[in-house]
Amino acid sequence: MKFLEKIRRYIKISEVAPISRRYFVMNAFDGATTVLGIVIGAYAAEITNELWVIWSGLGVSLAMGLSGFVGAYMTEEAEREKKLNSLEKSMLTDLKDSVVGKASRFASLWAGIVDGVSPALTAVVCLTPFFLSSHGLFSIDFAIQLSVAMTLSIMFLLGVFLGKISNRNRLFHGAKMLCVGLIITFIFLVLKITQ
Amino acid sequence: MIRRIILDVLKPHKPGVVEVSEALSHLEGVEGVNVIIYEIDQQVENAKIVIVGSSIDFEGIKKKLEEMGATIHSVDEVAAGKIIVEEVETPQDRSARI
Repeated sequence: MKFLEKIRRYIKISEVAPISRRYFVMNAFDGATTVLGIVIGAYAAEITNELWVIWSGLGVSLAMGLSGFVGAYMTEEAEREKKLNSLEKSMLTDLKDSVVGKASRFASLWAGIVDGVSPALTAVVCLTPFFLSSHGLFSIDFAIQLSVAMTLSIMFLLGVFLGKISNRNRLFHGAKMLCVGLIITFIFLVLKITQ
Repeated sequence: MIRRIILDVLKPHKPGVVEVSEALSHLEGVEGVNVIIYEIDQQVENAKIVIVGSSIDFEGIKKKLEEMGATIHSVDEVAAGKIIVEEVETPQDRSARI
């Protein structure tokens, strides 16, 4: 059986798709918000070196990725192990080598990967302007503006994705997520002005 | 040479009947499969599986079902040989019913 077909089958049996969708949006949003905080903070502190933002951002991405992976993997594994044990009791048989057991183990790993990769990936994408700025493509001020715009766009798109899942107004959901980003930006700007 | 076999099987809700019947139908010597769920519990369900073919490998069927997380409760009917012989009602059956 082809690898992708096997994965699709495990996802279907373990019903991990809705959980991983939740993890993806929740943690991608976390990643975007954290980077937004770092970037706005760097702007408020009038940081002139891109490397400071890049290394802080990468450090946070790595920490979020690892913590997301381990946290989600261990939680899912415990929950799924409990469910499998209960099913084994009902079936009066060992299901570890069956497709049910394999799908259960796969689901924990899948949830961990989604939970770990989504915040790290979002954070790295939002930091891209600073990589380009460090190579002299544009100034750090423009990198900050571009990064904030990209982060807010990602937040909006995550909202649109939620709207698509729930079959509701995509623009309204996008705007709701965008509001959170704007609130963070606004709070920091007010703090900077009153500094 | 098994031509038809009827099994009483206990299986989890997932994988579903569509997947189980498809998996069994792909086995060598199997020409047709019918799966009927006759009892549903909170976590498991009971299914009556009818498999028809030219030369059914019972061990292969058993292995595939175990792979799908199912267990065979009982083998309810087996028809083997060159032709499928149907169940015949005898006078004893009629008197047993009375």
